[in-house]
Amino acid sequence: MSKWVIKGLRTGIKTTQYPRKMETASGVSPGLPTAAKGTEKEVQELVFNCPTGAIERSGNQLTVDYNYCIHCFRCKRGSQSPMGWDYGYEWAANTKDSGANRGLGSAFNRSINIRFVDGGACGACISEIEQLNKPYYNMHRLGFFATPTPREADVLLVAGPVTDHMRLPLKKAYDAMPTPKLVMAVGACALSGGIFGPSFMSDAGVSELIPVDVAVPGCPPPPLAIIHGLLLAVKRKSSALLTSSEVRG
Amino acid sequence: MVEASNAVVINGIIVFLSLCGIGIILAALLSNRMNPFGLSLVASIASVSVLLVGGEVLLSGHSVQTELWTLPFLGTLTFKIDRLSALFVFITGLVFLPVSIFSAGYLKRYLNRYNLKTFSIFYYLLFASIVLVLISGDILSFLIAWEVMSIFSYLLVNYEHEHEETTRSGFLMLAMSEAGTIMVILAFLIMAKASGSLDFAALRASAGGLGEVARWAVFLLSFFGFGVKAGLVPSSTWLPRAHPVAPGNVSALLSGVVLNLGIYGITRVNADLLPVSQVGPGLIVLIIGSISALVGILYAATENDMKKMLAHSSIENMGIITAGLGAGFVFAASGLPVLAGIAFIAALYHLINHSLYKSLLFLGAGSVDYAVGTRDMDRLGGLIKIMPWTALFFLAGSLSIAALPPFNGFVSEWLTLQTMLQSSAIHSAGEKIVFALSGAALALTAALAVTTFVKAFAMSFLGMGRSKRVKKVGEVRRSMIIPMGILALSCLLFGILPTYVVPVLDKTVAPLVHEKVADELVPPFFTVDKGDPKFGGAFVSEFHDLGAQVGRSYLPGRGLVILHRGLEKNPVVFAMSTSYTFIVLLFLLGGTFILVKVLTRARKVRRAAAWDGGIRRLLPEMTYTATGFSNPVRVIFNAVFHPSTIEDTKETVAGHFRTAIKNGRKEVHIIDRLIFKPITSFIQSVAVTLAKMHAGSINVYAAYVLIGLVLVLVVQRLLL
Ligand code: SF4
Repeated sequence: MSKWVIKGLRTGIKTTQYPRKMETASGVSPGLPTAAKGTEKEVQELVFNCPTGAIERSGNQLTVDYNYCIHCFRCKRGSQSPMGWDYGYEWAANTKDSGANRGLGSAFNRSINIRFVDGGACGACISEIEQLNKPYYNMHRLGFFATPTPREADVLLVAGPVTDHMRLPLKKAYDAMPTPKLVMAVGACALSGGIFGPSFMSDAGVSELIPVDVAVPGCPPPPLAIIHGLLLAVKRKSSALLTSSEVRG
Repeated sequence: MVEASNAVVINGIIVFLSLCGIGIILAALLSNRMNPFGLSLVASIASVSVLLVGGEVLLSGHSVQTELWTLPFLGTLTFKIDRLSALFVFITGLVFLPVSIFSAGYLKRYLNRYNLKTFSIFYYLLFASIVLVLISGDILSFLIAWEVMSIFSYLLVNYEHEHEETTRSGFLMLAMSEAGTIMVILAFLIMAKASGSLDFAALRASAGGLGEVARWAVFLLSFFGFGVKAGLVPSSTWLPRAHPVAPGNVSALLSGVVLNLGIYGITRVNADLLPVSQVGPGLIVLIIGSISALVGILYAATENDMKKMLAHSSIENMGIITAGLGAGFVFAASGLPVLAGIAFIAALYHLINHSLYKSLLFLGAGSVDYAVGTRDMDRLGGLIKIMPWTALFFLAGSLSIAALPPFNGFVSEWLTLQTMLQSSAIHSAGEKIVFALSGAALALTAALAVTTFVKAFAMSFLGMGRSKRVKKVGEVRRSMIIPMGILALSCLLFGILPTYVVPVLDKTVAPLVHEKVADELVPPFFTVDKGDPKFGGAFVSEFHDLGAQVGRSYLPGRGLVILHRGLEKNPVVFAMSTSYTFIVLLFLLGGTFILVKVLTRARKVRRAAAWDGGIRRLLPEMTYTATGFSNPVRVIFNAVFHPSTIEDTKETVAGHFRTAIKNGRKEVHIIDRLIFKPITSFIQSVAVTLAKMHAGSINVYAAYVLIGLVLVLVVQRLLL
């Protein structure tokens, strides 16, 4: 009858150890390109192949703007001089607008309430964010909770390029939040419009509408990256960079 | 002293009656436009004189008796005011005063539509007849006044007479009221036959001579007869129909005064003239009271028409009062006069409170109706911004009726429920069970009452206006707000000063139960000295050890209501004090307010729109409605409501496609369904059967005549 109890006990704790220990299980992150160097032809090909124009070149040096990259692997597979690839997940970074929202003080360190707004996302980011509430990632152990009303929220989590129809709801939710508050944009779309925007019916990211404090790149970012973002929001982790550094030598 | 007091009372009554007379003449002379003003002026002064008369007798305690004139063959018409009458007279004045002031503004809505002269005349006659019912000292004057009262309350309810609904409800009210009167007359006749006199004093003296059957008959006839006026189950159906069609101020009188007369009648006959000596009648009263309370509040909770809701709630409150009376009868018959006294005090206290808050709420509903033009709570909402004063006073009324401290409903409901718990003093197990079940029913009633009035206030005054009309209105005129303020203030005062009300009620009840209970109920713990023989020694010293006497210097008076202080060995205490609660609440509220102000003085307030889920525009149609709020009650008590679903489906010609499906609910009140429906269908079936006799053939009819004649002859032969 209650086999599931025994099964559950036998399975033990499967929740990830992050951020106490880095998670090493395979497949927790698709990774992001880092940088590359190559001949003129190779460089041109890489820039041409990138669907979102995330690759920037200066001379024969290539760097990646993570605001745009959707880790589609086109610059890794089938290329003569593939980009370097980093399988980490601590991607979240402060943006240039950081601090515009009078961020959260130390009182919030171990307790923040999150209101999620879907700004017209394709569903990928949503399902990754959903994972935070599930046993494997379990954000509650870190003091992060979801709330249905922005009135109680400290962090506004936004995914999607912000379509025309979601512009008003997003603005309303933002206005309804009490200060201090913080806005976190999740996924390439929320950062730059991604593969959708700007277009005839969507913006190019959340920052066109409201100031964004924390950016989590990726398409979609893996749950651990979003957790990193939340930890960054309460200053329990340090920021990554939104542009890859150049290849040395 | 006695002489002076008598003179005050008699002169007061003469002044009152002449004011009513002057009022009637004035009403006939004044123009329609001036009539409301004249009515409110004269009737207010008349109410003050009534208040003085009632107050004088209540406080001094001298019964006043006077003979009016002797009618040939019938007897003398006497007027007598004892404390019981005086209490009801006082309540009558207390309700009539604000309602009369309110009428000045409210009646303006009928200007140019109805004849306000007749309204004023009916009003004075109703007022006078109510007072006369209460002060009449013999059957004859009582019944005359009673009939006049019934007819004029019907005429006032039926004031908007051109609506079919109004006339229908008015007739139902009149018919039920007359049926009740017939029962009352029979009860009085049984008593009068035993005593050979129509005077109340004579009836009281000869009460012992009545046999068992006669006693039961008098009890049943008077209880159910007066029960019609009081709106008790099963004769409560006229109330929720009469109220919504009556003018707002008349509704307030109907609930605040006229229903009381039913309770007055029950108390007068069964506690005073022919005291109930057995447990049985008491239990019946208790059961009927509890059922009325529960049925009343269930329908109130699910009703969306403000006035209908209040009418159902009147049934509930009358039920609570009656349950208190029933408990009193049982205790009295079981030889527990102290508990009986407490139960009667609880019932009478609740009666005062109900008169106050129910007339307040009806005036509030009348104001809303006056301003907005609808009483449907689904269409109201957001009125607090437009009518802040009405909202404030309606809130006070709602808090009172929902029995929240420190308002008055709490005190009496606490007393009633505690009285139910005192049934442990009774020995019979069966009676204990009845008490337990009634107590449970009353507790459920109290909880549902909170639901009902949260809904009533929130759906009418908070949120967004759910109809276009709401946006156009403004606050009602001041002459309508002030009377509501008076009533709200009285609700608060009767709530925080129970220790001053209870002794007065105790003196009213004392002649009925032959026991004084004020010292039991509101003991002077803070002023009594250690070792006072009147109070249990150990108990008082315990209080002293707690430091109670310290309060003597700065507490103004008695502040604690104690229901039961147990035995010396086991001093269980059920106590409450709305007076102290109120003081503490004031300090807490004030303190919190100051604290918040100080703590947030540096902060700027940022105002943002209410969170609406991010929709483009929050429309009133999207907000929560009264129907939605009460739906859980409707679902849980589905067996009581027993709704039948009406489906209205429109199909296209072929019948394959439905173009519209409409689902409706139809509810028949449980009393109508379980009691009146079977009776009417039985009578109808009998009529149908008998109708077969009308065969249409002259020969058959001739045979009937022959058979009838033979039967008469045979019966006569056998009997003589
Ligand atoms: S992985 Fe990123 S950088 Fe490489 S091609 Fe795809 S989007 Fe461009």
